[in-house]
Amino acid sequence: MKLDDLKQGTQAIIARITGGRGILVQMASLGLYEGKKIRVVQSAPFSGPILVEDVITGARTMIGRKIASHVEIFSDEA
Amino acid sequence: MSRSSATKPDDELVIALAGQPNCGKSTLFNAVAGFKVNTGNFSGTTVTYTETKVLIGERTVRLIDLPGTYSISANDVSEKVARDYLLSNSVDVVINVLDSSILARSLELTIQLMEMDVPMVIALNMFDEAQKKGIEIDVHKLSRLTGVEAYPIVAVQGSGVHELFEAAIRVAREEYRYIKPVYDKDVEECISRIMHRYPQALRELNPVNERFVVIRLLEMDEEFEAMAGKADPAFLEYVSENRRLLAEAHAWPETGVFASHRHALVLDLFEEVAVVRSRAKSTFGEIVDSFIINPVGGLITMAALLFLMFFASFWLGDLISGLLEEPLDRLGQMLPQVLSGKALVFASGLYDGFTAGVGIVLPYLIPLLVLLSLLEDTGLLPRIAFMVDGLLHRFGLHGKSVVPIILGYGCNVPAIMAARNLEYERDRIITLLVVPFISCSARTVVILALAGKYLGAACTTLIYLGNIAIALAVSFFLSRLNVETSPGIIMDVPPLRKPYAYVVFRKVWAMTYEFLVFAWPVVAVSSIVLAVMSHVGIDAYVNAALSPITSFVLDLPEELGITLFLGIFRKELTLIMLNSALGTADVSTVLTSAQLLVLVVFTVLYIPCIATISTLWKEGGWKVALASVALNTSVAVVIAGIIAHVL
Repeated sequence: MKLDDLKQGTQAIIARITGGRGILVQMASLGLYEGKKIRVVQSAPFSGPILVEDVITGARTMIGRKIASHVEIFSDEA
Repeated sequence: MSRSSATKPDDELVIALAGQPNCGKSTLFNAVAGFKVNTGNFSGTTVTYTETKVLIGERTVRLIDLPGTYSISANDVSEKVARDYLLSNSVDVVINVLDSSILARSLELTIQLMEMDVPMVIALNMFDEAQKKGIEIDVHKLSRLTGVEAYPIVAVQGSGVHELFEAAIRVAREEYRYIKPVYDKDVEECISRIMHRYPQALRELNPVNERFVVIRLLEMDEEFEAMAGKADPAFLEYVSENRRLLAEAHAWPETGVFASHRHALVLDLFEEVAVVRSRAKSTFGEIVDSFIINPVGGLITMAALLFLMFFASFWLGDLISGLLEEPLDRLGQMLPQVLSGKALVFASGLYDGFTAGVGIVLPYLIPLLVLLSLLEDTGLLPRIAFMVDGLLHRFGLHGKSVVPIILGYGCNVPAIMAARNLEYERDRIITLLVVPFISCSARTVVILALAGKYLGAACTTLIYLGNIAIALAVSFFLSRLNVETSPGIIMDVPPLRKPYAYVVFRKVWAMTYEFLVFAWPVVAVSSIVLAVMSHVGIDAYVNAALSPITSFVLDLPEELGITLFLGIFRKELTLIMLNSALGTADVSTVLTSAQLLVLVVFTVLYIPCIATISTLWKEGGWKVALASVALNTSVAVVIAGIIAHVL
C-alpha cells in the first residue's frame, strides 16, 4: 500500500521510500523514514499534498501526492 | 583539532547559531542583538548571513545567525552555506538551537553537528511549549549522554538566554573535547576500517575531521565523494565496498543504511532523555489549526486574510495618510514664503521627497509589514502553501513557492532570497522569475495612491487580481518551457504559534528603519536631482529618449519618461516624481483615467527595481537577472500597450 492511498485519520508505518536519494534525504531530514509511525491528518484540496503527523513526536509535514506515491506503508487497515 | 580560542580576546569570539528552520534561532538572535553594537551583512557566494556584535554581560562577541537547516546534507543552498561556514574553521562555538516540542527530529541535526567536531552547546528552545505538549526533558541527562552542555530556554521571553551565552563563551574559551556519537559495533568497525586507509591527499585537500568525512562518504554525499575521488579514487572505491557490505548485512538499501543507523541512535537518545505524557485536552492552537487545515476552514481563513490585507493597506493606509496630509500641506505652503530662487527649487525638491516618504510610503508600508510579519510568526504561511499547492501545480508552481510569493508583497528582495528553500533548480528559477511580477509594498503604494485615489476601489481590486493572473500566466508559460516536472512538495508544518507583539514590532521596525535610512535618502536626493534637472532643463533629453515608449506605445505625456526611468531605482519614485514632472498636485487634471490605468499597470510590471535585479543576480546568476528584466519589461510593454490602445 502507498501513502497516497491512506484514508484521512488512519495510521500506518513507513515501510520503504523509493524515488531516489533526493526524496529519501529530504524526508529523512524531516524525520520521516522507514519504521516511523505516521497518521494522515488531512488531504489538501485540488489533489494537493497530504498532511502527515509523526505519531510519537507530533511533528507535521506536508507531502506532495506524487512523492506520497513513492512511500510504501504497512497499514493497520490492510 | 587545535584551536586558538583559548587565547583569543573576547571581542574576537565568534558564536554561530545553527538549528532547523522554525526552531526560533532568529528570535534568539534578536533577543540578544537587543544589546547590539552594530549589525552588518557579510556574504558568502550567494547567501548573506546576519552578523552582529553583541554584549554578553560585559563582553562583546560576534554572533552569526546561520540559515536554518534540517540536516547538513547540503540538500539546498542554505544547507550548503551553513555547512561550508561551520567547516571553514572560523567559528569558536556553535549554539545548536532545538525546538524542544519536536525534540526527536531536532536531535538529528545535533548528532550531525557533533560529528563536525566544532565546540558546541545545546539550547533547548520553546521548553515551555514542550512541557505544554506533555514532553518532559531531562536536561542533565541529555548533557551527560551527549557530552554537550544543554540549557532550557524560551527565546521569545528571553529566559535562560543569559546562562546559555555564558556557557557558550566558557566552552569556546576552554579546551574543547571532541565527543563523537557512537554507532552500532559493526558500523563503528566499518568506520575504523575506512579510517585506516584515509589517504594523505584527502587530508591535505580538505583538512576537516576525518571521521566526519568518512561518515559523509558512507552517506553518499556528492560533494565529499567528488573530493575523495579527486584525492584517491581507490579509497572512494574502498568506501563504497564497505558501504555495500554494511547494507547487505542489514538488508537495507545502500543509500539509507548509514542514515538509518543515525535515526536509531537519535531515537534511543530521545527515549533516554524525554518522557512523553499523553494529554486529553487539545491546546487552543491545535483547535484553531484543525479548522485552518480543513478545506472549508482554510478557504474561509484565506479569504479573511486577503480581506485583512486589503483592509490593512487600503483603508488603514488611507486613514493615516489622510491625517498627515494637512500638516504636510501647510509646511509646503510655507516654503515659497520663506525661500526664493535656487534655494526654493532645492527646498521644494527636498520637500517632495520628504513628504512622499512620511505621507505616502510609510502609511501604506507599515500595516502591510505588520501583517506579513504576523503571517510569518504564527506559522500561517506553510498552511497557505498546503491549501494552494494543488492549485498552483496547474500553473507549474508548487506550494513551496507560496512563501516567496507572499513575502514578495512586502519586498521582492527577501522574497527572492526565500526561494533558496526550493530544492529543485527548475522550481527555483521559475519562482525567481515570477516573484518580480508580485506587486511589492512600493508598487502597492503606487497602485493605492493613483488607482485608489482616482480610479476607485473596484478598479484597484481589478488591478490587484490582474496582477496575480499575470504572475500565474507567466509561471504557466515558463513551466511549459521546461516540461520536466518536479517531484513536488515536502515541507515542515510547524505548530501554530502565538505572535509576540514585541517580536513583530522589532521586525517591522527593522524594515521601516531600513526604509528610513537607506531608501528615504535616495528618494529625497532623487527628488532634489529631478527638481534641479527640470530647472536646468536636462530632463527633456531623458524624456525625448524614452518617448518611443511613453508617447507611442503607452500614449502617455512625454514628461513621464523621467519618472519611469527613476522608478528603476525605487518604484515609489515614479509616484513621487509624478506631481513635479507634470507640474500639478492633482494628476487627474492632466491624465485621463485610461492614461492613469496604463501608468499604474506599467509601473507595477516593468523592470524590477535595482535592488531586486542585483538580488536576482546573486541568487540565480546574470542570466536569470537579465531574463527577468527582459520578461518583465516585455510583459509590461505588451499589456500596458494593449490597454492604452484599446481604451
